[in-house]
Amino acid sequence: MSRRLAATSLILVVVLTALPARTARRPRYGGTLRVEMSATIASLEPAVEAPTSEQAAAKSQIDGLLYDHRDADGTFSGERGNGPFRVTAWEPGKRATLEANNNFREGRPFVDSIEISMGVTTHDRLLDLQVNKADLAEIPPQDARSASERGVRVSISKPDELLALVFNTADSSTSRKASVREAVARSIDRAAVVNFILQKTGEPAGGLLPQWSSGTAFLFPTTTDPARAKELWSQISPAPKLVLGYHSADPLEQSVAERIVVNAKEAGISITAQAIQNSAANSAPVRSQASHVDVTLLRWRMPSPRPEDALRDIVLVLNAGPLAGVNSTPFPDSASPQDIYNQQRAILDKFTVVPLVWLPQVYGLSARVRDWTVPGPGEQWPLADVWLDTGPDAGADKQP
Amino acid sequence: MTFRTRLFVSFMFALLLSVALVAAGVTIVTRRAFEELNREHSDATLAQFQREFQRRGKDVVERVKGIADAEATVRMAIDLSRTNADVSVYVNDAHGVSRSHQLDILDFVSNDGTIISSEESPARFNYKMEWVTKPEDWASRGAFLTKLDTESGSTLALLSVATVRVGDRDLYVVGGERLDKGFLASLVLPSNMRALLYLNLTPEFQETNLIDSSGPAQDANRFEPLVEEVRTNPVEQSGEIRWSIDPANSEMFHAVPLFGRSKELLGTLFVGSSERTVVTLERRIRWLALGVVAVGLLFGLMLSWWGAARVTRPVQKLVEGAREVAEGNWSARVDVRGRDEIGQLAKSFNQMTEQLVEQRERLVQAERVAAWREVARRLAHELKNPLFPLQTTVENLQKAREQNSAQFDEVFRESTGILITEIENLKAIVGRFSDFAKMPLPELGPVNLNEIVRNVVKLFEGEFSAVGRPAITPELHLEEDLPTIQADATLLHRAIENLVLNAMDAMPAGGVLMLRTQHSATEVNLEISDTGTGLTPEETERLFTPYYTTKQHGTGLGLAIVQAVVADHGGRISVESETGVGTSFHIELPIKPPFKPQTFPMVFEKKEDEA
Repeated sequence: MSRRLAATSLILVVVLTALPARTARRPRYGGTLRVEMSATIASLEPAVEAPTSEQAAAKSQIDGLLYDHRDADGTFSGERGNGPFRVTAWEPGKRATLEANNNFREGRPFVDSIEISMGVTTHDRLLDLQVNKADLAEIPPQDARSASERGVRVSISKPDELLALVFNTADSSTSRKASVREAVARSIDRAAVVNFILQKTGEPAGGLLPQWSSGTAFLFPTTTDPARAKELWSQISPAPKLVLGYHSADPLEQSVAERIVVNAKEAGISITAQAIQNSAANSAPVRSQASHVDVTLLRWRMPSPRPEDALRDIVLVLNAGPLAGVNSTPFPDSASPQDIYNQQRAILDKFTVVPLVWLPQVYGLSARVRDWTVPGPGEQWPLADVWLDTGPDAGADKQP
Repeated sequence: MTFRTRLFVSFMFALLLSVALVAAGVTIVTRRAFEELNREHSDATLAQFQREFQRRGKDVVERVKGIADAEATVRMAIDLSRTNADVSVYVNDAHGVSRSHQLDILDFVSNDGTIISSEESPARFNYKMEWVTKPEDWASRGAFLTKLDTESGSTLALLSVATVRVGDRDLYVVGGERLDKGFLASLVLPSNMRALLYLNLTPEFQETNLIDSSGPAQDANRFEPLVEEVRTNPVEQSGEIRWSIDPANSEMFHAVPLFGRSKELLGTLFVGSSERTVVTLERRIRWLALGVVAVGLLFGLMLSWWGAARVTRPVQKLVEGAREVAEGNWSARVDVRGRDEIGQLAKSFNQMTEQLVEQRERLVQAERVAAWREVARRLAHELKNPLFPLQTTVENLQKAREQNSAQFDEVFRESTGILITEIENLKAIVGRFSDFAKMPLPELGPVNLNEIVRNVVKLFEGEFSAVGRPAITPELHLEEDLPTIQADATLLHRAIENLVLNAMDAMPAGGVLMLRTQHSATEVNLEISDTGTGLTPEETERLFTPYYTTKQHGTGLGLAIVQAVVADHGGRISVESETGVGTSFHIELPIKPPFKPQTFPMVFEKKEDEA
């Protein structure tokens, strides 16, 4: 019996050792990587500022392919074209073609070129991924599950984008009442948002930093407490009517806003959702201060995996609004997780910012894309390392 | 108002009344007919709405049943029947399914009533819809109305529920259509009708709850009374709403209560029909009636005028004939032919005037005879007194001559003296008769009556206080500002003198003679009163008859002369007397005589003329 067991183990060791050698492929040069994005970039000139955060992020990703060096503050330096790719064709707001830079100091990228299509809708991106008309595309987190079920190869990052409620304490007298803010915060069912709206792609958020970054996120409760919300609201007289603003172009924000309204109504809180269509909606900090809304939804992506840097960034982002007066000086090197927790606690106890969910970055990949690694907070798309498997059995095995 | 005018007005009034009654009758009958037509139209529309409502209900039931029977729904039911099934995967299913089945409302509800997916309230997943799990035979329930809370607010919906049973667990499919402006717009209504819906969502009336096919209804507050009426008494009601002063801008609304599953009042459907068509038709009919009335009135006016003239013309002739008779033309005749009452009246009138003329002739004849007899009697009486001494004197003179009496000469002188005296008396008598016969016409001039009165009184002052007779005290009450009148001073002086003489004769034992003047706007008055013996009523009645006298030596012409003078001046004289108290004469003289003075038509004068 023991002999049979030993022989079986040996065979398994041999097979498992030989299998990667059989399936592993060597990187290949060549091919055109087709990238689709929803943002439209009017200009790649550094002096031209992107009007929206989405466009700024997209422009940053392209700049990361064109520049050789990136400074600590996130800006790119050096000559454009010294990076792994250089621009060979440019149709503002529609299409860009990048060619591999043979003289890139870290070596020529594997793909010959990258074709970037801008302004492509989510529906079209998913379709193109399904029919292999695109190799790489961003997918909204709430569509990750359905995309996967439809056969799209999905790559999901760690949750690094916070969706939170931000009260307009500057202009709204209602929002200046702590009991109002707390009642709204306690009425929200974060788990339902994650499970139903995000289709389980994300995490309930209690703190300003994710668990994987701070290690203390579990200390911030994420459960709903409608009874306490009702109790708090009943003590407010006269009962105010709140307006919740959300970005009209963001379906996720709309769904979450509508769910918050339903949760709040169940707790007896009168709140209505209102789409913000003007330019103020494009900038969350500014949006939070829109005078006609009492509270708004904020999407904030961590600029760095370091908790102290990320926390300082959100404090800076909201320093003009609900976090006015909060210390935004960088944490010292000696700062402990306790210090970071304490600052979060101090902020969150005021309920001016109410974290809702953590969202990951979701990418759809075609079957031929190889060596794709999901970029973390503050990281660029690693397209210089990606190669295309154009062999006959390409796609037989898929990377996660 | 003349008889003809009265008759014309009566004809016109009768005509107007008849026409008005006919016009009112036609208008009322027409209006009722239109209202009946309109009501039938509304009833038909309501029936059409009911059919449309039922059809929609059946349609909703079919579509919901189709969803429940679909393979995807059955798979969902099977999946959900498993323990620890992941319901989140179906959270967006209602959206696509509802769009493919053209439903406004679609909910997938699990066995315990939890909403798995909702089209109308996508964010209400994981909440309960408990009413759907209550025991009810949904398969035979059909469509029903219910109030629905969505993220855009409360609304009414026509719902149906179907179940998919897997094992002992049910998946409920709740689907339907909103009763909103789209639903109202889809109703097929006649051009002059419209439908509105009041959603009974709040305890109090709210204008925003009333919608029509384009959204919130205009002037919704005008519907509040009807809404409240239906709320109070939830049966079909109706009422008119006037949108302006013009009745054509009014609408008749039928309010139909809409009930839910538990017979609760969920809303009120208003089916309104414009009154414009009815009002316009009524106006046309009214104008037509007015035209007919106007033409009828014009025709009636002419006919009435002709009829009134035809009827009153003989009467007018009778009036003119009567007026001529009144003016003294007793020979007036009326030329009216016909056998009707007017003709007979005219014939009688003519006969009457003929008889009057004949009777007047006979009366004149009789009066003439009587007058002559009176004159003869007075003459005999007046002449008899002087003739008797004449006869006696002449007989004495003959007797003295036959006797050759020595005193013959003396007798002769005395006799001739008596004869001369009596002959003078006879001449005086004849002269007075002659004077009365020759009463002159008054020569008018400005006369102060007070002055004449004073002159007359002054003339008799000696007589009033003559020795040997009881004194008469004159009292003058003369109005100082008596106006001057147009009169003949001589004739008036003579008349007043006669009256004063009469008064003196009436007061043989003395007394008071009062003369009073006063005036009014058109005449002056003179009153002459005595405190004499007075007159009996018979005497008073005959007092102004010529040759009538109550005195031994009077001619009976004095007061007749006074009456003639007053009449010649256009005035009147009257007398009041009481035996033993006194007599008062009242003379009223116009300040300006209304006509040219004429000689008083005295029989005596005529008799003299005839003589």
